[in-house]
Amino acid sequence: MSAPADSRHQERLRSAAATARDVLARSGPCRWEVFTKASVTREVEVAPGEPPRELEAEEMGVAVRTVRGGRAGFAAASGLEADAARRAIAGACAVEQELPFDPLPPLRLLAAADGGPVRGLPPRGWASHVGEQLETGVAAISGGRLRLRRCLFQEGTFSWLMQTGEGFVAAFDGTACSLLTEVQPVAGRGGVWREWHHVADPSSLDPAALARRIADRALLVQGRIATGSGLVSLILAPEVAARLLTALSTLLVVCRDRRDPLPKLLDSSGRLASDPLTLLDDRLDPEAPIAGPCDGEGLPAARTLLLERGIPRHRLASYRDALAFGESPRGGALRLSYRDYPSTGIANLRVSTEHGLPPADLLRDAGTALYLLRPLAPVLVDVAAGSYRIVASGVWLDNGRARGWHPVVELRGSLTRLLGRIEAVGTDLAWFQAERGAVGAPSLLIAGQPVMG
Amino acid sequence: MTLPSTADPPFDPGWLDTLAGACRSLSASTPRLQDVYLERRLELRMSTLAGACHAEESRSDGAAARWRYPSRTAFHARTGTSQPALEDLLSRHGRRTDLPRLRPAAPAELEPPAGWRDWALRTLSSARRGHCTVRFLARRAVVVGPERWAAVACPPLVRVEVDGESPSALLAVWQHPDLESWLSELVAPPPARRWRPEPGLKVPVLLRSGTAGVLLHELIGHLVESDLVSCGDSPLAALAGAAVTALALDVADDPLRRDLPGAFSCDDEGVAAAAVQLVRAGRLVGWLCDRAGARRLRAADGRGRRASWARPPVPRLSNLIVAPGTTDPDDIQRELRDGLLVTRLGGATVDPLSGRLVLRVERGWELRQGRRRRPLEPFELTGGALDVLAHVEPAVGNDPCPDWRLGWCVKDGVPLPTGSEAPTLLVHHLEVL
Repeated sequence: MSAPADSRHQERLRSAAATARDVLARSGPCRWEVFTKASVTREVEVAPGEPPRELEAEEMGVAVRTVRGGRAGFAAASGLEADAARRAIAGACAVEQELPFDPLPPLRLLAAADGGPVRGLPPRGWASHVGEQLETGVAAISGGRLRLRRCLFQEGTFSWLMQTGEGFVAAFDGTACSLLTEVQPVAGRGGVWREWHHVADPSSLDPAALARRIADRALLVQGRIATGSGLVSLILAPEVAARLLTALSTLLVVCRDRRDPLPKLLDSSGRLASDPLTLLDDRLDPEAPIAGPCDGEGLPAARTLLLERGIPRHRLASYRDALAFGESPRGGALRLSYRDYPSTGIANLRVSTEHGLPPADLLRDAGTALYLLRPLAPVLVDVAAGSYRIVASGVWLDNGRARGWHPVVELRGSLTRLLGRIEAVGTDLAWFQAERGAVGAPSLLIAGQPVMG
Repeated sequence: MTLPSTADPPFDPGWLDTLAGACRSLSASTPRLQDVYLERRLELRMSTLAGACHAEESRSDGAAARWRYPSRTAFHARTGTSQPALEDLLSRHGRRTDLPRLRPAAPAELEPPAGWRDWALRTLSSARRGHCTVRFLARRAVVVGPERWAAVACPPLVRVEVDGESPSALLAVWQHPDLESWLSELVAPPPARRWRPEPGLKVPVLLRSGTAGVLLHELIGHLVESDLVSCGDSPLAALAGAAVTALALDVADDPLRRDLPGAFSCDDEGVAAAAVQLVRAGRLVGWLCDRAGARRLRAADGRGRRASWARPPVPRLSNLIVAPGTTDPDDIQRELRDGLLVTRLGGATVDPLSGRLVLRVERGWELRQGRRRRPLEPFELTGGALDVLAHVEPAVGNDPCPDWRLGWCVKDGVPLPTGSEAPTLLVHHLEVL
């Protein structure tokens, strides 16, 4: 592995923050926060028969929040030079608007937890090497029926620094790595199998095992078609379960609407889902994609219990949204770029697998079941109407043995009934990208779901 | 509508001439420099927050260089457009590059137009339902090649997003004459007692108020983009010259329509903007290509577009224009006995490999005997791409209308502004999902 996170940026971040501090000190009495960030993203696309395509982008900038005389402003400018800090401050002052509360968290709430170990990044050439191994592996495992279409390796280093007028300072250097793989049948159209893989530790990535997993699933599409109907057990593979949790996440954050849909979805004992489902926003998990010592506003990174054995416990909110909508601030701000205002968002939404079953047990225990492997459309959850819709393809199982491939199945119905019938969670937790943040989901076993052939 | 002229570059022209000279020498050796791209962006956001208003400003500038090695291609990008930033960028292929010492005139800041703030505050107060965000987006760029440089001028845009029980959005060119009427439509509450058609139902669907432009953006626009065509992923890939839809249909992609969000004076590879005919009298006659795609397909280039300075150009459509026909749209509706009338789409996707189209209907009506009966709840329609194209009614409305609802088009996770304009079209059957 090559050198860990590139910390050479920290000096420049400190310098930009110091310039901003000096300018703000001369701009009259105000509360302020300066956030500076630098990141380097590298992408390598490997497609058999095509020259590799490499992309490297370095981005850096300064963001400033100001509060003075009951008015608040935010602006961001690219660059780490003195001019960038001055432009950001001028912009924040120019857009200040009256606000009935102070959106900057007080110093007593700010602290930095241990950001965890900094992961290394793979050396140059690693992507081409892994791509070749995947190409060979997929072809061999499938007996020549499948071919690798492309791999996209994404890796990045980032550093940020946050400083407030009251003297709070937090800094972090981190890395991220992921792999997108696509395979398709050698003959005929369609059937592209796409898998996104969060690589927590590149040194432990096993290309042969990854090729086997992808090829095994992609080959199921080539199997005989089987359809079925009736009241059956449903198993959501991690990717499908992650889409469902993503759709549910609006219930797990502060509600901006006057009519909160959550109370209507709870049963008489205050339960949203059955006992096996516990959900967390885990900003302390070293394996999770989003890491750091604090949230996007400087509140210490925490593991927030959102749903405990089916019962809602807490809802996430940024400090500003907590004040505006009557929640307790628990460090729920997310700041993915220096350009973004730190707003409410789930960083690492994760299912607790503490009492999970190994996937093989889950499949065996399900009896006759439909195992949904591949989402074909976004999972839709209408929280106001209490309904859901899943469109996916999957495999019919009889006591753990595959009977055939069901190309398209659409499931819709009552959300509370679906969540109330979760019988077990697996231990095969995998991380996926959400629109903002990440979702870690294992397989979910759901009993007695009506399936129309 | 007017765009800043190409004679009004966002950087010092003398400095750009010097940079073009440096590019010339770097393009003559290995690795070969293809082009350098410089960009400045301004985004202003205003949103409602617990009865108050919240405002944000974001300014960014950056540059990118593309290199071709014998066995690979490379794209480097970095924040900043100053001389040291560009020297650093051009040195990343492994050889130190010094640019001539000049003192270029400082580039002018992109500034919000007069009246923007008041307009945004008025818009926020008109959107009483739920949470509302108003954005102003401006971008100026220059592509510097070995021969010359070209300024990219795009119209400033506004985007309005309304959350709540009936979330919706608008994307339009700033100061478009119809902007206020579109905003009124955006914030109007949905009708009561709405009806949802049964899943699986196959029905004729009349697309009015510009929604046919969204349909053909997906079915023609995306499926003729050269990256999908050249690798055979598009179902239209082998159909050049073939009749793919109604004979009355003419479809073009036109970045010179400055009243629509996808307009530009030249693309992000420096090719001067020109309309490309895609379908003439129902026959497929054109592809949308970036430079690499144009070489592979032996077609015209001019559609290499970048989502930002940090992303490489990819073939993308600009403004999809469906030529109006001669039929009164009310006559088409009257002759349609039973079916669905769609007046607003809230989303549309096409999967090139399966050829499956999905349209998310946001507003519309059930039609009985050609008359509006019940308003529709949001739902989805689906169909196979080639099948839907083959079932477009030859009678085309004489009422060209831009779509303001969609336009923020996402492909492979990368968003870009696009536009469309289309008359009323009837598709003989789509399936309710």
